[in-house]
Order: sequence, then structure tokens, then C-alpha cells
Amino acid sequence: MSTQTLSVVLSLLMGMFVIELVRREKLTFKYAAGWLLLSGAGVVLAIFHEWLDNLSAFLGFALTSNFIFFTMLCGFVFLSLSLTIFLCQQNSRNDRIAQKLGLLEEELALLKSELKKKG
Amino acid sequence: MANKKVLIIVPAYNEGANIQRTIQDLRSVTPEFDILVVDDGSADDTALKARAAGVVVTQLPFNLGIGGAVQTGFQYAQTHGYDIAVQFDGDGQHEAGYLNALIAPVAEGKMDIAVGSRFIHPDNTYKSSFVRRIGIHFFAHLISFLTQYQITDPTSGFRAFNRRVIAVFAEDYPSDFPEPESIVIASRYGLRLAEVPVEMRKRQGGVSSIRYFNTLYYMVKVTFAILLNMIKRKKERN
Repeated sequence: MSTQTLSVVLSLLMGMFVIELVRREKLTFKYAAGWLLLSGAGVVLAIFHEWLDNLSAFLGFALTSNFIFFTMLCGFVFLSLSLTIFLCQQNSRNDRIAQKLGLLEEELALLKSELKKKG
Repeated sequence: MANKKVLIIVPAYNEGANIQRTIQDLRSVTPEFDILVVDDGSADDTALKARAAGVVVTQLPFNLGIGGAVQTGFQYAQTHGYDIAVQFDGDGQHEAGYLNALIAPVAEGKMDIAVGSRFIHPDNTYKSSFVRRIGIHFFAHLISFLTQYQITDPTSGFRAFNRRVIAVFAEDYPSDFPEPESIVIASRYGLRLAEVPVEMRKRQGGVSSIRYFNTLYYMVKVTFAILLNMIKRKKERN
């Protein structure tokens, strides 16, 4: 099997896996869209690899594979940074909800005891 | 001060052994003030013991850390229209005897925040480890340099706040190293802050969150947190 066929097959498999995750409701479309786009781009670039070769030569890379590794590495660094941002955001939302819950529970208990007193 | 509505916020995490003594202390000195214990997801009977002592208890569903717990207190104070809020730790370190002295400058409108300092008291008897003292002095100089305040005890959690501060901190309060960082936030919002001499006791039980062998790492982290906090913007009110 050529590397070209392997790339197409792996990209398609990834796309199908993401679609399956959406179907099983493990992923929402909002988060799946990016991965589907990546899988599509993988298929297209594997078929028309001379686009990649040209771009990599234009940017001064000696080998197209180096360009691919470099791009993917940058992509993953960016991805993990955005995931950290997302995590922090969720964390502070969690804290806010916990605070609100604590305060509301106390208020509810107070209201209940007042109602009880009134009979 | 008599006409001011005052709330004492007592953040407590696994303080079942100390909490009732702390409440009794507060009641004996200032029976007219309301007390709110914020149980920060304790695994022990902190909330039960505090309720048995007859104070209002807010129980957080999981541990948020001292910053999140104290902020809950500010939110409560804001909702219930308190004029002054006081942070008073649940571990028995703070002395209720100094409450009125701490609140006075805030109640008289001279200050927005009063911070109880262990290091400006004339008969300063507070003893702590050498490394910790170095740490506290380092942050005191760093924060005094970065803000317009003269700070000697940046890690003190014995503080009084007026309505303006309550509104700011209910929205914008640091969760990582709240005591030193909140001074930087106060400076950002142009709040008036001054220290008041107090004495503190050694911790009566439990384990301090700052452990001896972690002090250096802690200092580096807090320095970064303070420097990063300096370049933050004001939070927009929702």
C-alpha cells in the first residue's frame, strides 16, 4: 500500500470515527466540526499532494514530511493551549455554580424553616 | 459603628476541631455582629458544629480553596446588604479582641479595606519559622513596591471591607493566592487600604496550606501570580 493510500484511509477512518462519536452523543457537532474538517483536508491533501510539496518548498522546507511534522506540532501546541483556556473557563464557571448553590441552599433552608414556623 | 450592619465571614475547611471555639470567641466580643461560616467542602463535621453554634452556614458542594470560600461570603454580604464584611479565619489564628480596632477605620469611612498586620503591633510577639518570615517580608516589599500601599503583612487574612469592596470582591476575587493578590486587585480598583496592628495566635489545629518545605516553590508561584495580576484589567460587571 502506498503512503498516499494509507493517508487517505487513515483520514477517512478518523472522519468516520468522529461521525460515530457524534452519533453516540459522545461529541457535539460544535466540537466535532473541526475534526471533520481536518479529516476532509487530510483526504484532499493526500490525493493532491503536489499542493503540499509546492507549499513546503515555497516556505523553504527541504522535505515535505518535515513541513507536515512542523505544522502538526504547531497545531497540537495551539490545540493544547486552547484546551487549557477552555478548562480554566469551565473551572471558574464550576466555582461560580458551587458558590451559587451553597448560597441558594442556605436560603432555601431558611425559607423552609420560616414556612414551618408559620405552619 | 453601632448603626452599621456587620457580617463576619468565617471560611472553614475541615475545622471541626476549632470552629465552635472560634464562634464562641466572636460572640463573646461582638455579639451584635452576624456570623457566616462558609464550609468549603469539608469532609468532617465543620458545618454541623457551626450550625449547632447557631450561626448561618453556607456549604459549598466541593472544596474551592480559601479564595472561593471568602468570595462566597462577599456574595452573601452583597445580597443581604451588609455595610461591612470582616474575614476571620476558622482555624483559631485570629483574635476576636481586635475586631473593633480592625473595623473602626472602615466604619468611620477613613478606609475601604483594613488589613490586620502582625508586624506593626508595638509588642509584636508573633513567632513563625525563619523561612516563612523571609517569605512574608519579601512579598511585603514586592507589593508595597508594585502598589501605592505600605504593606507589612500581605498574607494576613484578618481584614475588614466596606460596601464598595464587597461589591468589587463579590465579582473579582483571586482563587490562587487570595491574600497577597487581592491587595493588587484593590490597587487596580483604586481602593483605600491600610494596615491595623493586631496579634495572631499560632494555629490551634489542622495543617496550614503553606508547608515548610514548599516555601520556596510557593514564593516563586506567588511572585508570578502577583506580577501577572498587575497587568490584568478591571472585570466588567455583569
